[in-house]
Amino acid sequence: MEHYLLIARSVTQAQRMERALSRAGLRGTVSRTPMELTEGKGCTYAVKIAPSAVEAALQITNQDGLQPVQIFFAGPNGYQEVAL
Amino acid sequence: MIYLDSAATSFQKPAAVQAAVSRAMEELSSPGRGGYDAAMKAAETALTCRTELQELFHAGDPERVAFTMNATHGLNIAIKSLVPSGGSAVVSGYEHNAVTRPLAALGAKVTVASGCLFHPEQILDSFDRAVRPGLDAVICNHVSNVFGFTLPIEQIAELCRERKVPLIIDASQSAGILPLNFEALGAAFLAMPGHKGLYGPQGTGVLICGRDVPVRTLLEGGTGSLSMQQEMPDFLPDRLEAGTHNMPGIAGLLEGVRFVRRRGLASICWEERTLAAMAAEGLRQLRGVQVFAQNDLYAQTGVLSFLPDSMDAEKMGAALSERNIAVRTGLHCAPLAHKSAGTLKTGTVRVSVSVFNTKKEIFQFVDTVEEILRTA
Repeated sequence: MEHYLLIARSVTQAQRMERALSRAGLRGTVSRTPMELTEGKGCTYAVKIAPSAVEAALQITNQDGLQPVQIFFAGPNGYQEVAL
Repeated sequence: MIYLDSAATSFQKPAAVQAAVSRAMEELSSPGRGGYDAAMKAAETALTCRTELQELFHAGDPERVAFTMNATHGLNIAIKSLVPSGGSAVVSGYEHNAVTRPLAALGAKVTVASGCLFHPEQILDSFDRAVRPGLDAVICNHVSNVFGFTLPIEQIAELCRERKVPLIIDASQSAGILPLNFEALGAAFLAMPGHKGLYGPQGTGVLICGRDVPVRTLLEGGTGSLSMQQEMPDFLPDRLEAGTHNMPGIAGLLEGVRFVRRRGLASICWEERTLAAMAAEGLRQLRGVQVFAQNDLYAQTGVLSFLPDSMDAEKMGAALSERNIAVRTGLHCAPLAHKSAGTLKTGTVRVSVSVFNTKKEIFQFVDTVEEILRTA
């Protein structure tokens, strides 16, 4: 299923993002980031979000000073980085 | 046992703390180390604890709340982040070895802002004279661990802000008892134990870091983030939390902080001050006992020292221990405080309470001291 991954710098920040989204009535799920997306960085966590909610989600995370370090779109052709 | 050594650690903990520690050992693994349920639950617990602490101390951002082993650990990070080898610092005359030993290890030039016990105006004057722009740091405890003397931390913080000198606050004896607004104080660091007034388990501590304050690591290692990079992450809390977290401790601390917030700082402080004032009043009635306590209930917390004229402090402590009363004797790891108070040679007997002490226990303690002195 198509979704976005908002990559966080740490598990703490990923969970803060998830909580901020939840307060705004949006559903995000924290998970480990696939290794293919973490080249050069190592382990990270990401918040998975539905395409319909990504714009609102970014507005909320940015408002709270919780900008993701990278964003990926997961579609039929795999992952594609999205410009911040 | 009548436990009157809560300035060392609050031995009696709320039942919810003990339950959380036990539950954590069954349910929580390690935050940032996996995506499975036990790891994510651990991360949730850690973040909830940071958030509760951020709200209690007005830290601004839960990610600037770092877990440490104890206050000493946090103070070492804070001091070594700000004071270079051979640097300069001003401290109060009531500091603990947790402050003075790291400064000695750095070979720092230390100025002591001295002043008589229970004379905050003298302390403030001394800081006013000693704090100059260019100083590496001012380090000051909020409450003396020996005498319960409350230092004028708001005014000292104001001086530091005016002169642009970073301030490190040691809240070892005030966290969970007196209000502290970290953002309003504008301090660089606020260090505290989790196991005293916050009622967490031993082995827990907290360091709150100021915005844009450089943070030096004492430990380097795995953080579960930026694993490819060989330098420690430059962001908090990961920068200060290398290695596996003390999850039973953090889970217990979370319940301790919740207990404090539910009961309220004003209520806790009042209960402890009342018990300490009762102890001081009772001891003052005994002949040949010097009591280091304020008449003004508001200038002291639940910590006080006393010294019998006719008996060594250690002997009094041993006699109380034989009667199942726990107090702390000697120099309390704070020779500088004893020097300031004129008790460096004798030490003192320290009585320190928590909300789990009762008036009946205080009466029994005073009666026991009287009996010890009468029969010695």
